Amino acid sequence: MSSSKLNFEFRQRLNKILGGEHHNYCYQCGACVAACPAARFSDHFNPRDVLLKTLIGDEEDLIRPDSIIWKCTNCYTCYERCPQDVRPVEVIIALKNLCAQEGVLPEDINKFSETLVKTGRSVVITSTVNRRRQELGLPELKDVNMAELQTIIE
Amino acid sequence: MAKKISVAPFWGCMIPVKYPQMELSVRKTMPAIGVELIDLDQFTCCPDPIYFKARDKMNWLTIAARNLAVAEERGLDIVTMCSGCTSTLQEARFMLAEDPELKKQINQRLKRINKEYKGTVKVKHIVVMLRDDIGIERIKASIKRPLTGVKVGIHYGCHLLKPSQIMHIDDADYPSLLENLTQALGATPLTHTEKLLCCGKGCMDDEMPLEMTYEIFDSMESVGADCMGLICPTCFNSFDMGQILIARKKNREFNLPVIYFCQLLGLAQGLAPEEVGLHLHRIKIDRIMEMIGAKEGSVEVAA
Repeated sequence: MSSSKLNFEFRQRLNKILGGEHHNYCYQCGACVAACPAARFSDHFNPRDVLLKTLIGDEEDLIRPDSIIWKCTNCYTCYERCPQDVRPVEVIIALKNLCAQEGVLPEDINKFSETLVKTGRSVVITSTVNRRRQELGLPELKDVNMAELQTIIE
Repeated sequence: MAKKISVAPFWGCMIPVKYPQMELSVRKTMPAIGVELIDLDQFTCCPDPIYFKARDKMNWLTIAARNLAVAEERGLDIVTMCSGCTSTLQEARFMLAEDPELKKQINQRLKRINKEYKGTVKVKHIVVMLRDDIGIERIKASIKRPLTGVKVGIHYGCHLLKPSQIMHIDDADYPSLLENLTQALGATPLTHTEKLLCCGKGCMDDEMPLEMTYEIFDSMESVGADCMGLICPTCFNSFDMGQILIARKKNREFNLPVIYFCQLLGLAQGLAPEEVGLHLHRIKIDRIMEMIGAKEGSVEVAA
């Protein structure tokens, strides 16, 4: 724990992100931990711990490119199990959004999501791709209507 | 002749670019069971529920709502081929139905491009469409080369089933959807200890996905699987290439072909492996072809 004080200001910022407000419902029962694959396969990840740090408002530990939250596999088992409708994975994604706002996304996430903002697709189309598709008798992949996308994202 | 259904296929990003064989298998197998695919070229990335959603949930939801609106305008339901696309589009529908104020905000953004999300469009992963709109009997009627004796290790992946509050597809702990569909092809679906384990691809870690893949294949091998049957390109990425990495790093060769459900359907419909792009996989399916009695080429079907 990096601070002995509760950081309510941090929690209020999290509340403003979609799904972030559900962190308030957590009563630390641990139902999310038992079936969590990241908890099983990593020595450090534990969704209940992440929620505890969130409730305390441990911004320093959570909001960083090497934060433990990036070990979440996004499998939604915790969402399935949680009796309190915390939707832990969605809280974790909301925490990731705070990382983005603070400019501390891991480099891979930054690069990947940038591709989407620039091309409307998450995987780049190369000439090799369309050549292979042609060989398979599949239609050519065309460019996405970027004018529309850029008008609706903020 | 049973009636035809028309749907808008949502190919996503990974399948058309990285694994076009999956798209090929869908395009080749649907005509025989009365599904017409009407391609809508206005779709964009769903957007992806791991990386892009991590960056900005509001933008993620806006782009998803735009995709839904595109299909709504054409009066078509969406059929997804990838569990990630299914997850994004279904969750977007859920969030927008759950929170009318949020729906209003998103529609204000869509209004800039003269679109509106009304909430009428349905989204189904292709295996759910097969179960609910086509039905086991009609699938069976399209089978010309049953996959008799082939033991398929089922892998559900995460996003088809969970959270069940949103997905409404099957029991998330004791699902039967893929078992029943696999059985319809004449194959033997195998349940195994790690059937529901995540492939691990969604985390930012190099070791974890490999460890998970190892456990899944160890569990499948222990029950005598001949191949793995799955429904998601991200899981495929973990498992086809993943077996090569495991052989290299852990010195253990599973050598179990990883097959997308519509590729299995194609083989059972009598298509040649190349016709459903199985020649593009790292782990080859020669043994499976020997088992079903056809080394190469499509089966000739008597009129």
